[in-house]
Amino acid sequence: MGRAVGIDLGTTFSEVAVIQGGEPVVIPSSEGGNIVPSYVAVSKTGERLVGQIARRQAILNPENTVYSIKRFMGRKWGEPPGRELPVEEDAKRKTYKVTRAANNEVRVLMGGKEYSPPEVSAMILQKLKADAEAYLGEKVTDAVITVPAYFNDSQRQATKDAGTIAGLNVLRIINEPTAAALAYGLDKKKEETIAVYDLGGGTFDISILEIGEGTFQVKSTNGDTHLGGDDFDQKIMDYLCDEFKREQGIDLRQDRMALQRLKEAAEKAKIELSSVAQTEINLPFITADASGPKHLNITLTKAKMEQLVMDLVEKSIGPCRQALTDAGKTAAQIDEVILVGGQTRMPLVQEKVKQFFGKESNKSVDPDLVVAIGAAIQAGVLKGEVREVLLLDVAPLTLGIETLGGVATPLIPRNTTIPTSKSQIFSTAADNQPSVEIHVLQGERPMSADNRTLGRFILDGILPAPRGVPQVEVTFDIDANGILSVRAQDKGTGKEQKITITASSGLSKEEVAKMAREAEAHSADDAKKKDEVETRNIADNLVYTAERTLREQKDKIPSELNQEVEGKIAAVRSAIQGKDMDYIRSTTRDLSEAMQKIGAAVYQQTAPPPPPEGEAPPEGEAPDGQAPPGGEEGTVEGEFREV
Amino acid sequence: MAEETRRISENDWIGARTGMDVEALKRALEEEQKKAEKNLLNWQKAEADFSNYRKRVEQEKAELISFANAKLLTELLTVIDDFERAFANVPPEMAQLPWVDGVRLVHQKLRSVLKSQGVTEIESAGKPFDPNIHEAVMQQPGEEGSVIEEVQKGYMMKDRLIRAAKVVVGSGKKVEASEAEV
Repeated sequence: MGRAVGIDLGTTFSEVAVIQGGEPVVIPSSEGGNIVPSYVAVSKTGERLVGQIARRQAILNPENTVYSIKRFMGRKWGEPPGRELPVEEDAKRKTYKVTRAANNEVRVLMGGKEYSPPEVSAMILQKLKADAEAYLGEKVTDAVITVPAYFNDSQRQATKDAGTIAGLNVLRIINEPTAAALAYGLDKKKEETIAVYDLGGGTFDISILEIGEGTFQVKSTNGDTHLGGDDFDQKIMDYLCDEFKREQGIDLRQDRMALQRLKEAAEKAKIELSSVAQTEINLPFITADASGPKHLNITLTKAKMEQLVMDLVEKSIGPCRQALTDAGKTAAQIDEVILVGGQTRMPLVQEKVKQFFGKESNKSVDPDLVVAIGAAIQAGVLKGEVREVLLLDVAPLTLGIETLGGVATPLIPRNTTIPTSKSQIFSTAADNQPSVEIHVLQGERPMSADNRTLGRFILDGILPAPRGVPQVEVTFDIDANGILSVRAQDKGTGKEQKITITASSGLSKEEVAKMAREAEAHSADDAKKKDEVETRNIADNLVYTAERTLREQKDKIPSELNQEVEGKIAAVRSAIQGKDMDYIRSTTRDLSEAMQKIGAAVYQQTAPPPPPEGEAPPEGEAPDGQAPPGGEEGTVEGEFREV
Repeated sequence: MAEETRRISENDWIGARTGMDVEALKRALEEEQKKAEKNLLNWQKAEADFSNYRKRVEQEKAELISFANAKLLTELLTVIDDFERAFANVPPEMAQLPWVDGVRLVHQKLRSVLKSQGVTEIESAGKPFDPNIHEAVMQQPGEEGSVIEEVQKGYMMKDRLIRAAKVVVGSGKKVEASEAEV
């Protein structure tokens, strides 16, 4: 039994995707990269070339290199024009010969032979099929192929025929905007109206769809067959040429080599300006004249670029308006907007779309690949390859416990898929502490007071021991239903306590989002607070350790050193009472340095005479059983400390 | 026939004595067995998916490590292009300057760094045009199907093409034949 794939058979580029392990994956072509140029050629030696390779020799072999064959699929000479130009017009713009066969059918001439458009498309499909089989290591027998929503029956049939000729069982022909909606899982929605804004390299399409009972209906389509990313590149190129002419008096438009470099640089700059405020277009030795070589070095700001392309973006709004009217909807009635096509990555485009429809668009899926991905999802469903998926939830908010200083220590981070379980060992904060309180928290803030309390319980019977010595294992366990149980076990005594919390969320999606936003907004303050707590904890630990060391090593420490350290301890103690963080840090540092002298003194008593000069004294180590000075992070409030 | 009758009434008999509806229990058992089979099957599929996913991720990781730098190196190629343009344009009166030699050495160093990463140059000039490694940007009078001029160097990384060479190819025409425009 062969695999089923989803294919986006585009005018200029095509992609193929498949469901792997329940997830859609776009298949890389044999040349690397995810997209295959929709080019087919017959070389001078009669060899058939498809994809990138065909494109590379297009200039040498224009009559036998066929591109944009999609424009002729399912069409006839003399047909009244639809969205596309009439065949006569389109044929004139091609470098290859478009001929008329019986019944006014369209044929193209390649390598001396005539081919129907489905036969040419089949060659592209065959390459996609072969690449998919190479990637998957198994046969591909079925496919879902996408077409524009405005394709008529004859155009759809032609696409299906292409699949059949390529040796594929075409499970279904689906509309490109529908495929995009599937990629976002919108088929799970009840009754919704969806707008798909598709701005690719050369064409713009807007479609309004309605979803109901799991099926999609196309309410209206509109667009502009000559509006796309290439036009945006051209605007930038024109600007660069004009600027260069102004600055250096040379018109680069006359120089084909220069134009090549400019085109690439313009596209690159456009892409960069999606994320930075300005970019430098740096083309040394772009051209030369009598006085020597000339260089192009122009800085383009995002603002300037947006000025240059603004009218192009606005050109896309008219068709959107018309599509809404034809669908009998207002912008407010659109429930979801989807962005398709690489050019929609530009922030200006996203802004304008957001403005027009009054809501954020779905853009998380790669806009170049979203149609192929949706087709793959449909293929998986139709083929029955999708195994029964257990839909798993996630823990929407971070879960943790309160530790020394009022800090919230996370155990299960938000968005962890459940069921899940996590354990961590904690300890006591004070000597001879008999019990620990487990305060279970939910939320993203670093300080426990700012989070939600889910529950509290106490584990007692902890044997008397210095702080930091007892080992209490805290385990968080969430089952598939979202029920959280928290268990604390004293690894020494074996004693344990447990609590079960049923509504570990009980928060709506909006509330969860709100909490996440608040955490963001407060993150700077929160970080500062947490830092303060940690500074105090570290200082506190060090004081404890220092006092203990003085006690234990009393006889080995000279009295002045003893006094010095005691003085430093007192300084840290008083610093902790106050609010000056820097003072706490500096006194802590002083104490730490003083303690190193203790180490040196102790070791000198027991060690052989010091080695000849040039060797540093050994690093001050804390007596065993203690954490090294400097403290570890996150000691626990009230009862707990992380080990 | 008599056997059958006995079998049927055996269940009825058990049922009458114990109050259990044996038929219903048998049906319920069958249903639970079916459910259990389905659960086992889905679990097996999920394990298989996970195992395959892990294998694929390992493979992709290995590839990534091998070619992680490909993107960065491809970007650096444009800088090397510019270096070469610079040398092609050294004013003759400066060509002998030690400083120019120094910059040439810098260029050489950059090239050897690339080489150490497995990047090699594609020989284009004079070779037959091959769309697997060349991209034709123009045609000019010259030997047909042969690369007359290299406009931009092509590079391979290990055994993979990272940038096709942009070349001018001979049109087979002689003298003042015009460039074939597309």
